Amino acid sequence: MGLVLVSHSEQLVAGLGAIVAQFGGSEVPVALAGGTEDGRIGTTAPRIESAIRSVLADGAEGAVVLLDFGSALLSLEVALEMLEPEDRARVRVSDAPLVEGAFLAGVQASTGASLDDVAEAARGWQSLPKVPEA
Amino acid sequence: MAELHLIVIDPAGLHARPAAKVVKVASRFDSRIILRSGDRTVDVKSLIAVLGLTIRPMSEITLTADGPDADEALAALVDELGAAVSPSSDGPAVALATDGAAVQP
Repeated sequence: MGLVLVSHSEQLVAGLGAIVAQFGGSEVPVALAGGTEDGRIGTTAPRIESAIRSVLADGAEGAVVLLDFGSALLSLEVALEMLEPEDRARVRVSDAPLVEGAFLAGVQASTGASLDDVAEAARGWQSLPKVPEA
Repeated sequence: MAELHLIVIDPAGLHARPAAKVVKVASRFDSRIILRSGDRTVDVKSLIAVLGLTIRPMSEITLTADGPDADEALAALVDELGAAVSPSSDGPAVALATDGAAVQP
């Protein structure tokens, strides 16, 4: 079980990858797809496709993709189209917020949980208020 | 069934880092492990559930394990939590296992 972190910023996913490695442990495969090929802010389908492929090729049962906003989803959809159907079937796209979802999914993946359980864990954040007293 | 009463003494409460550790350790065991804080109980193997308790410093928590490796599970959890917790004065400092043997915290 691995994670693919998609963001408009390369630095953002680099930092988030470090958080996941610390909380989830380095045994969870994490691939990053942040920014564009020429270092600008944005997302591109080939970078996302290659990140997904690297997790799947790592022997993982599957990959949970977490993404930020806007065109990240469009790029991701194109990337998924480029995958073979059997690979695409091993990918779950998470609706969770990127940072919190990656943290939850990383810890869950480190327990040896299944692809669907990890995807479900990431989604859990939507029911958790950040400021409970508010 | 094994039970342990603890006070969370970490000044940040049971925040993300210890919560993640607890979930990872708990997941290694077959026993069902329940964490009680106030009147709420959660499955310790769910990170989102543990975080949802927002356990504050000096909260009293109770860990209950039920299953073939209940004693080992609680011992491993206390070991992992380390200095973040201390035995509670309100409950037994160490829990009694079903066979009457004390669980080493």
